[in-house]
Amino acid sequence: MLRGAEITLQCMRAEGVDLVFGYPGGAIMPLYDALDGSGIKHILTRHEQGAVFAAEGVARATGKVGVAMATSGPGATNLVTGIADAKMDSVPLVCITGQVRSALIGTDAFQETDVFGLTLSLTKWSRLVKTIEEIPSVIAEGFHWARSGRPGPVVIDIPTDILKAKIEFSGPVKFVPQANPSNGHGQPLFANELVSLLEKAKKPVALVGAGAKLSGAIADLRRLLDHLQIPTFATVHGLGAVPPSASYYLGMVGMHGTMASNMALDETDLLLVFGARLDDRVTGDPSRFSPNAKIVHFEIDPAQLDRVRQCELPIVGDLAETIPATHAVLRGISLPDWSEWRGVACGEERLGLEPRGLAVPTIRFLDELFSRLPENHVVIADVGQHQMWAAQRYRSCLPRGFITSGGLGSMGFALPAAIGVQMSKPDATVLCVSGDGGFQMNIQELATVHRLGLPIKMVIIDNKFLGMVRQWQQLFYQRNYAETDLSDNPDFVAISKAYKIHGQRISEDAMREFPISPETSDELERFLHSPQSELLVFDTAPEANVFPMVPAGASLSEMLLEED
Amino acid sequence: MHIFHIHYRNTQGTLMRIINAASRRALELPYVKAEANANGHQATLLLEVTPKQIGQLRRDWYAIVDVTEVQVSIAEFETGLGVPHPPISAGDESVRSATA
Repeated sequence: MLRGAEITLQCMRAEGVDLVFGYPGGAIMPLYDALDGSGIKHILTRHEQGAVFAAEGVARATGKVGVAMATSGPGATNLVTGIADAKMDSVPLVCITGQVRSALIGTDAFQETDVFGLTLSLTKWSRLVKTIEEIPSVIAEGFHWARSGRPGPVVIDIPTDILKAKIEFSGPVKFVPQANPSNGHGQPLFANELVSLLEKAKKPVALVGAGAKLSGAIADLRRLLDHLQIPTFATVHGLGAVPPSASYYLGMVGMHGTMASNMALDETDLLLVFGARLDDRVTGDPSRFSPNAKIVHFEIDPAQLDRVRQCELPIVGDLAETIPATHAVLRGISLPDWSEWRGVACGEERLGLEPRGLAVPTIRFLDELFSRLPENHVVIADVGQHQMWAAQRYRSCLPRGFITSGGLGSMGFALPAAIGVQMSKPDATVLCVSGDGGFQMNIQELATVHRLGLPIKMVIIDNKFLGMVRQWQQLFYQRNYAETDLSDNPDFVAISKAYKIHGQRISEDAMREFPISPETSDELERFLHSPQSELLVFDTAPEANVFPMVPAGASLSEMLLEED
Repeated sequence: MHIFHIHYRNTQGTLMRIINAASRRALELPYVKAEANANGHQATLLLEVTPKQIGQLRRDWYAIVDVTEVQVSIAEFETGLGVPHPPISAGDESVRSATA
């Protein structure tokens, strides 16, 4: 006879789970009681939000399903931001929450919340378990939906009495989804139409998003793009999919994308979209987005089609299948000569825009750090100006080398996510870049870093402001810096020492020398290659801004290249 | 006005997810009906939507795990389905007596 708790853990183990992040409490206590001997390592974070972001870090770095656990009520509600984050960025995530005992559900019992109802719009699938007998099928189905198709978050809410109940357990089960009738997105042969569109195109471009990486189709995509040789750019989640050394690669596109990318996207007459959902950070004003472009959209999730504008040719399916199929079709076709267009779109005039102004020391600092990263690395960025600078300067071709909260933009993401990344990639150099605002949102996870002895390299770009909001206030609200002043920040180095983590500061003056001094260079080398966790606080100008910038509601062609 | 018939397997939360696709867009829900039929369950929603929203809703519903089919047609008031079903207010005597 096994308890529901043991059955839950055995079924999770059968799904390949060997690592979970969580925080115990009353309702979920039976599950914690069963952890010993389960084969699943549990990492105690210091806040449930830390647990769910850490689980996301595992999932984003490896593609495996990340798992977080929390108790009922406030424990479960503290997971909500992470669940929303996983939904927006297509992250495979399973959250196991304890719930009050079945007889009390619906009575506003102590630490009871309707987690199922609360997360309905944020989850791909969810279930409030009603009997111990259904645990194996619920776990199997939950993990299936988390990882299949467009990955996403799943919540499994288990009342405490069911965790404690006992039955004879015959073993985990496999979930076999029911076949649905065709949803009208069956894939007729697209070859002729695609070839026709390419033959007529004068200024084709390609946009690469997260879906290209999630599908595991990177190698095939690179071969296809090498064949097409058309100007190509990436969303923030597509960074690393295309080697930056490719002559046709223009960098990141969108609100803080490169001038070259934004101009090409604005001027194109044929846009090939690979696994991107064309969200507003990429398109600018949707009504003026790529006004002359026909869109060919490679996408696994039909719900992402036609959100901004009707696409000419939807190619629905797993990119791991549709991209090689497309390449096979195009191999035998003589494509138009786009060299003149490529020369304009990829020319030095557009690509050669150098950073200017107050942001230069910070950008140089990031360049120096990134240039020293070993091949086996992961950069995790929090949310804000530092995130955009980091995305702009990231130059690696590791598909999972740059991780950030893109769709939801959750501040406080980076530090706990870095914990998950380092746990799942113990040999990688993990560089966690945060702002002074976001770092404080989950600063308590320094305790987790120390307890585990994780050699995470943490950087705080400290401008003593909520920088991105301040930038908008400067540019669009007449410098009314309402509630963005963080000039009374604590001493982060002292805090890191209190958590028994080595910390130090570096001033932006060190980055004004070019090249940087040998002492500064040595310090950066020491920081990055230290065998222990490290914190480096970079003091920078409060009013540095991120450019280029496409103002909200503006079209890509209206991007600002510098301050007035 | 358009009528949407969404066929689904009546698993936990599926009907709520179907309705949520409309409610999250702040669409008025003058008529909602859910019932079992020979092929599982069917939800019928009457919505005032733009052509673009029709496409978005169809795709959102198909993204729900246990939705099997979505049919759309223009509302026909002769069938009675086009008659709005006003929400009962909390002050309504019949509601008070029903919940007493």
